[in-house]
Amino acid sequence: MGEIRLTRKEKEKYLSHDPKITDVINSLVTHYKLPKSKALYKQIDTAIALARKFNEEVVKPVYKQIDLNVTQDNEYLCWDVINKANEWGFNTLFIPKMFGGQGMNLIAMYPFVEEIASVCVGLANVVCVHYLGFATLCASWNLKLMNEISREVKRGEKTGNPCLISLAITEPGAGTDVEETMLIDRGRIETIGQKVEGGYSVNGSKIFISNGHVSTWHILICYTNKNKPSGTTVMLAVKNGMKGFRFGHREKKMGQKACVASELIFENCFVPDKYVCMQWSDLSERSSKSVVEVIQTVIDNVVSSTRAGVAAFAVGAARGAYETALAYSRKKIVNGIPLINHQWAQSMLAEMYKNVNMGRAAYMESAYANAMHGLAKTLSVRPIFYADMLVPSWCFTMISPIFNLKIMTWLFRLLNFYRYPQESAEIQSGWASLTKFGCTDLGIINTQKAIQLMGIDGCRHDIGAEKYLRDAKLLQIYEGTNQLNRINLFKNLVGRSMPEVKVF
Amino acid sequence: MNIQATAQIFTEELQAISDMAKNFASKELVAKREENDHYPFGELFTETIKNASDVGFYGVNLPAEYGGTGMGYSALSSILENLSMADASMAGIIFTNAAAIEIINQASRDTDCSALYNMLSAKEALPIAFSSFTGIGEMEIPGASEKGEITGRINFLCLGGISRYAVLPARESTHGARISYYILDLDKHGIKKSEPVYSLGLHACPGVDVFLEKVPAILIGLSGKGIKYFQSMQSHLSLGAAALSLGILKGSFMEALQYTKDRFQGGRQIINWSEVRMILANMAIEIQAGQSCLAAACNELENGVTEWEKTACAIAIHVAEMACRATVDGVQLLGGNGYMKDYGQEKRMRDAHQAQCLLGMAPVRKMELIDLIIKESQ
Ligand SMILES: Cc1cc2nc3c(=O)[nH]c(=O)nc-3n(C[C@H](O)[C@H](O)[C@H](O)COP(=O)(O)OP(=O)(O)OC[C@H]3O[C@@H](n4cnc5c(N)ncnc54)[C@H](O)[C@@H]3O)c2cc1C
Repeated sequence: MGEIRLTRKEKEKYLSHDPKITDVINSLVTHYKLPKSKALYKQIDTAIALARKFNEEVVKPVYKQIDLNVTQDNEYLCWDVINKANEWGFNTLFIPKMFGGQGMNLIAMYPFVEEIASVCVGLANVVCVHYLGFATLCASWNLKLMNEISREVKRGEKTGNPCLISLAITEPGAGTDVEETMLIDRGRIETIGQKVEGGYSVNGSKIFISNGHVSTWHILICYTNKNKPSGTTVMLAVKNGMKGFRFGHREKKMGQKACVASELIFENCFVPDKYVCMQWSDLSERSSKSVVEVIQTVIDNVVSSTRAGVAAFAVGAARGAYETALAYSRKKIVNGIPLINHQWAQSMLAEMYKNVNMGRAAYMESAYANAMHGLAKTLSVRPIFYADMLVPSWCFTMISPIFNLKIMTWLFRLLNFYRYPQESAEIQSGWASLTKFGCTDLGIINTQKAIQLMGIDGCRHDIGAEKYLRDAKLLQIYEGTNQLNRINLFKNLVGRSMPEVKVF
Repeated sequence: MNIQATAQIFTEELQAISDMAKNFASKELVAKREENDHYPFGELFTETIKNASDVGFYGVNLPAEYGGTGMGYSALSSILENLSMADASMAGIIFTNAAAIEIINQASRDTDCSALYNMLSAKEALPIAFSSFTGIGEMEIPGASEKGEITGRINFLCLGGISRYAVLPARESTHGARISYYILDLDKHGIKKSEPVYSLGLHACPGVDVFLEKVPAILIGLSGKGIKYFQSMQSHLSLGAAALSLGILKGSFMEALQYTKDRFQGGRQIINWSEVRMILANMAIEIQAGQSCLAAACNELENGVTEWEKTACAIAIHVAEMACRATVDGVQLLGGNGYMKDYGQEKRMRDAHQAQCLLGMAPVRKMELIDLIIKESQ
């Protein structure tokens, strides 16, 4: 140590200035607070190895052909891969053991999806968008339904019938609007759930729903009052075969063709009370927070975990493009010398390598922010962390009826809705937005660079670089467009302490 | 006739050509854009390819005495730009054919090419196949025997699957460093073609990989002058490449402008969110700048300004790069709809990225430009 010593007061003073450590170095905070970081490391390296094996054995042999099959026939669904993922246990990999899953830490999910996306972003979405549905269900903290549906997913794995969960929130007239409570009341909402005896009657439609046609459960967000949707939000679990629910058309997309984007149509669809994940009328009771604030917390919790996932997809695309361009440049001769030995090409490849690694560092920061402040926070609490790691699954199965007790849902909602600190919301949501638009922009930059470096060969489907560009473009759009995410970052991490700031 | 009067006629002719291209686009391309883009999984628009011949789109840089219009590069640019606003595949076909013809035009300065021109004025001889997406330095070049028989492979020979003739380079067997251009009949014995190569964009302007085994071919111009012909063609066609990219960019902007007026989010037309406006503004700025640059470069060429080649090369690279960036934003402004085939935006984004590869890899062309500038400065 040098000559200068800080007094405790001084240290506190300087650390209270922006940027605060707790705002910007989430990994440091996590490693300080999270028990057993060695165990976490082992889970992450297992997840990566597992994804690589899956890529070798399942994804690589088929992904280009699937892309062509869908181009040729938009009705094509890649059931083979869906069944394989189910067989490999991917549908329960990140579901906590207490709900019958394998309990791999959620932080490991991000490098896992990057691996699959580095070969095929479309198939990464097929495998992982299930966790978007699952995360939304979890954000309702309805423990009874979380337990029931998760165990059905587990049964699906045992019986060989994949039971996937989709999330349906986007409507034809409202995309950006449904992602933000400040906008939704000005939006053109159409999907209305009317409270009727014994449940809800839903009318309307949802569009662009990833994995819609191949999922069994659909976590549906609808509203009882279309003029005040922010305060009248209802989350329902809709199952295939429920009366009044059907699939509509499948979108014809530019990329990520393996992952169907479906229209979901509801015509007097009756959803019984037992499948109500969350309704606004429950939230207004005994509440220290308004319904709208709680709904925003739910949205923040969902999109913060999934936006970091989209960022990981993007890093996968950026990496796939980089690796394809690198392999190409070793073989290609330009003006008499290997492309890889042109200094400008080395510089471009270095730039691409940097983008991949900066992107990964960013999405991991967001993953750590989620572990400390988001949906996974509960799992990071010591007793729960250890229980989920050490207690055998059969034990959880035995005690699982406990989740049916209303008090359990009440307790978890108390902690995760009403006692949820604003500061946590800002960090997790701000970071998720930062990584979402940051990494997805890098995804486009790298895929463009690959094409520049490979010329027309980069545009050939059989060589493989062009698909990364088509796939990567979607990442700038879904989970909130990058425009919405920029404003969300601004709101949460920049403008939060400035009373004059108004967004939207 | 004074200069002003000549300029007036020229402007009127250009206007007429631009109108004709717009008319062609709206009649032949707009309604079937998605269907045509489905190739090779759907039908190729052969009727449209033929109709383009009937209106003279393949003869713009063909001398008038051989059935062309000989109108030059302002006219070609105007056609390519206007067609690309609707669907750039047709423009890709016209571009490829013009590149092949320009090789012959360059050769005709060295030797008498009338026999070749006569061959091309026969019915259905045009459009000609050409490797319009590959620079000569990055190409796998087949070999030519002393008898003028070609053996080897050409990757992504654009229009190779549909044209009667192809113009292609070959290395002289006597001296491997000497590259010459040849024209050959693609129906001849000894030629094998792949299925159409499925690529990122410009689906209705398809390429094939071609394998040649002792295929007789006719030398174009002087032996060993291939690189020179290629470079001159590259300079001329740079204007066309810039126009094609600019057209795509304009199409993307117009679609986005309309959509952002029609679409409501947050209780207002999305065009009234200033973040959306800023993206539109950036697109508009790139269009205005690109348009002025292209007009200036065409003028330089028509008026024989010595620097025109550098200007043409620079704007081709620049506009193509801008078009890639801006068409990505063009998709973005339509949100999820921009990603879907029902709108033209995703196609424009794909087309713009493939168009960036016209005449060779962009970084290689940048290096060539700076090499030229450095050489001249010494
Ligand atoms: C292939 C695909 C899969 C998808 N999967 C799912 C899914 O599984 N589940 C689901 O619920 N949804 C899904 N989505 C929907 C996705 O989340 C929406 O497309 C996205 O939120 C954008 O909404 P939008 O398409 O309506 O665009 P719009 O909201 O109409 O946006 C159009 C443009 O306007 C801009 N804009 C809009 N409002 C504002 C504002 N207030 N300020 C500044 N700019 C603004 C946007 O940034 C964008 O550039 C998917 C979409 C696609 C394309």
